[in-house]
Amino acid sequence: MANKIIFNVIQVIVVMAFAPLIKGILNRLKENVQSKRGPSIFQPYRDIWKLFHKDEVVSENCSWIFRLTPFVVFITPIFVTLLIPVLTGYPLFFAFMGDMLGGGFILALGGFFATLAAIDTGNPYGPMGASRTRMVGFLAEPVFMIVFFTVSFIAGSTIPYIVQKHWVTPLANFFEPSHILMLLAFLMLIIAESGRIPVDNPSGHFELAMIDESKGLEYSGRGAALMKWGGAMKFFVLCCIFLNVLVAPWGLAHGTEYWEVLLAVPLILIKIIIFVLVLVAIESSLAKLRLFRITEFLGAAFATSVAAMITGLFLM
Amino acid sequence: MELLCILIISALAAALSLIPMGKRFAPVVTLLGTMAVFLLSLRTALATVTGGEVVAVKDWLSCDSFSALILLLVSFVGLAAAIFSWGYIDATVEATEDRKIRRYYSRFNLFLFSMLAVAIFSHLAMVWIAVELTTLLSVFLVSFESTPEALEAAWKYVMLTCMGAALALFGILLLYWGMSLAATQAAFTWTGLIAASPKMSPAILYTAFLFILIGFGTKVGLVPMHTWLPDAHSQAPSPICALLSGIETTTVLYCIMRLLPMFQGSAASYAGRWFIIFGLISAGVAAFLLIQAKDYKRLFAFSTVEHMGIILVAAGLGGYAALFGAMLQIVSHAVTKSLCFFSAGVTLLATGTRDIAAIRGLIRISPLAAIFLMVGGLGIAGAPPLAVFLSEFSILKAGIMNGQYLVIGLLALFLVVAFFGIMYQINRMVFGSPEIILMDERTLLFGRSIIPKRNILPLTCIIALIITIIPVILFGIYLPEQLYQLFHHAAASLGRM
Amino acid sequence: MSEPDLLLSFLTKLNALTGGVFLLSAFGLVAIRQMLTCLRLYVFQSLLLAISASIIGYHYASIHLFAVAALTIATKVIIIPWLLRHTVGYESYAKREISQVINIPASLLIALGITILSYCIASPLLTAAGAGIFERVNLPVGMASLILGAFAVTVRREAVPQVLGILAMENGAFFAGVSIAHTLPFIAELAAAFDVLIIALVMGLLALKIRKTLGKTAVGELIALKEE
Repeated sequence: MANKIIFNVIQVIVVMAFAPLIKGILNRLKENVQSKRGPSIFQPYRDIWKLFHKDEVVSENCSWIFRLTPFVVFITPIFVTLLIPVLTGYPLFFAFMGDMLGGGFILALGGFFATLAAIDTGNPYGPMGASRTRMVGFLAEPVFMIVFFTVSFIAGSTIPYIVQKHWVTPLANFFEPSHILMLLAFLMLIIAESGRIPVDNPSGHFELAMIDESKGLEYSGRGAALMKWGGAMKFFVLCCIFLNVLVAPWGLAHGTEYWEVLLAVPLILIKIIIFVLVLVAIESSLAKLRLFRITEFLGAAFATSVAAMITGLFLM
Repeated sequence: MELLCILIISALAAALSLIPMGKRFAPVVTLLGTMAVFLLSLRTALATVTGGEVVAVKDWLSCDSFSALILLLVSFVGLAAAIFSWGYIDATVEATEDRKIRRYYSRFNLFLFSMLAVAIFSHLAMVWIAVELTTLLSVFLVSFESTPEALEAAWKYVMLTCMGAALALFGILLLYWGMSLAATQAAFTWTGLIAASPKMSPAILYTAFLFILIGFGTKVGLVPMHTWLPDAHSQAPSPICALLSGIETTTVLYCIMRLLPMFQGSAASYAGRWFIIFGLISAGVAAFLLIQAKDYKRLFAFSTVEHMGIILVAAGLGGYAALFGAMLQIVSHAVTKSLCFFSAGVTLLATGTRDIAAIRGLIRISPLAAIFLMVGGLGIAGAPPLAVFLSEFSILKAGIMNGQYLVIGLLALFLVVAFFGIMYQINRMVFGSPEIILMDERTLLFGRSIIPKRNILPLTCIIALIITIIPVILFGIYLPEQLYQLFHHAAASLGRM
Repeated sequence: MSEPDLLLSFLTKLNALTGGVFLLSAFGLVAIRQMLTCLRLYVFQSLLLAISASIIGYHYASIHLFAVAALTIATKVIIIPWLLRHTVGYESYAKREISQVINIPASLLIALGITILSYCIASPLLTAAGAGIFERVNLPVGMASLILGAFAVTVRREAVPQVLGILAMENGAFFAGVSIAHTLPFIAELAAAFDVLIIALVMGLLALKIRKTLGKTAVGELIALKEE
């Protein structure tokens, strides 16, 4: 029992510690593919360290929301980490506190506060980016819902630990058409939610074209550090949900020994790095979509997810 | 044996027409080919008059009385169209474009080949392929004149009919599935399906029936899938229009009607109801669309849709009398429609325009064209004592005796509307003082008005017109005994006596 | 689980996967803007058809279906794209279709409705026939692809995607056919494949003629003959 609480804590520490590393690896690989040298993979750590030691400048016109948001954005992925399988294949202490729908809502809470904070300052670029983020968000909601419903219907539960068993117990289940289509839909969803090409350019600095980056525009010092870190953790958490629940639920610890759990840490990192490679390949080969073509992109994701639902339900 | 010869001769004629041996070679080859095919099909029809079957390859190529009737019809209209083409193509295509002329004749023969194949093949998959070929081999005939409107018509034609053919393919595959599940040893032919249908699961049978009805119905021109028909059947050259309207739609309708005997007993009303619904809607919509036709070939094309609807209603009414009427209507429609399109062709040669409003007093511009157009119009509208009147009357009578008053009432209404529509337009064209009001395209400005001199129509066109007008007048009064027997057996083969 | 059961379950899942991706490619034909991608999607769809035919052929131990798969690859994967590229002309493929009759998200929603409809039509058939596992996948997916192809023809304005829509309809009918009519005589399959070739040839040549006469292949804009 105490073990499970400790494993939960280890999970949270792993997520907090390694999220900036994954961000760093992603950025460096992107640059390498373009034949550039790229920043060091530990650069995000240095950025966060530097930002924590700087002064914070806050506009006079903003309210408590502006000051609260960095903490919300930092804490919500941590809450979600408590609910999903990161290192272990069996449910931990907090696992039944919320299911996948709950996890999705908690992540959306962070995004909600970030949007409000962007409008709070009175900077013209903030609300512009915020409205675009909301557009992408509300178009992505149906996809989220349908994917979760399909997964829960097929696997018989909404708790991620139970769902992930379904895809591996008979190995042939992995090739079920609903599974593969759901993977495609969820991949398109991750691209939209974490603001990667083709939905949004994460390395662009042109405020008129920003979608996801606009939430961090106004922050400085400690607030900026927390927003950056929280953003990296959200990406890590989404990857964990995708990989551990849907794609490759292998390499998770099944016993309750400490060394098994610690062994699972490099395994999850390897899985995420492989996924990062796929993401880099996608990002380097496509161009950013024009704003109103994003509806088509998410419409295609929706069609894919409903096709997954149909093939899953009718082929039962 | 004759069946194989028929197919080989028409394919051979197509190949030979491409040989550049002087101006007269291609038309003569086509003429000889179609005449040989006609004689052979006459022989086949006579062989089936007693109710027997002509078999060339068991389960693949065979002809019973219904298919022999269609075969005879196809070859007759083909012969008349070949004769007509000789003069028509001579008059409309420049003498220097002999490659174009040769290509026309070879495509003509290929088109005829595909339609003969529909009647001759008895394995359903091959029938589907033949139906698909009738579209593909006639596309370039429709777009023969290469004007933008002709190309648009050809594109719509090919798209919509291929869509319908794919739907029908699915229906045929469903039928095959149903038959293999019923585990009879029957072959996948028309007769085999009739034998196996009582054991087939009704869900599969009904779904397959609907797919085939809608799919092939697109090719027949049933509303609401008819939108390609007025365009394609008016933009093609006139002898091709006769082939398209007179026999291509008829052969596909033959395929649909062959589905009828698979529904025995209580299921019979299901198929009959669908036929009646589609038939009435087609006849009604076509009758009302006739009235606003601005182009006389389009007028005749709408009339084709209407007649296909009438035949389908007759098949749906069921019973021997109605089916006999349907057979009679098939034959009378084919010959009368060819007469109409041939006379439309000579009218086009005499006046140079397809517009109804532009032509006045045709009887003085070209008396021959006017007379044939008048007889054709009267014939297709259903005036006595011509052939179509007799067939429509027998259908109406059969319906009343069956007690289906609503259907017959609606049908009679549509027939009357179509009669007035056609006769009004044709009267406007034929009578009055002779002039041709040429309107500028798209701007409807009244341009010059000319008084044309009398034209000399090509001799072969007139011969073809005479050949087609004889059955139109004859079958209204007298039916030869063998033909009667052929109808009798054909109606009986659609069964539910 | 015994050996043949494991293999059978694996084959069924693989076939179901082919069916699911086949359905997705039919959606793509409705919604994708670039014409070259549509052509590649059609090639991919025909490849899936060949794979499904091979799986079912392996299961029923029928050489006939393998021959069908080989025929499909030869005609639809190799010859037809070559035909379409060379008859219509390469320039028309470098284009994107900017406007469609209905906008793309709405047409995707209608496509989903069509898929649900085809599943609803297919289920009473499947229960009435007591169908095996392969028919359960192939029949609804084939029917959906059939109707989606027809929808693609009505929604598109350019000539080439319309042709691909018709070819996708045939693909869908054959996808259903390999499971429900797999004992059809080979001569019928051969003739049908030849027929599909002629379809592609005819449509390609007609599109070429249209482009030469009218200067573009936007057939959706030809409305001279509409009834007023």
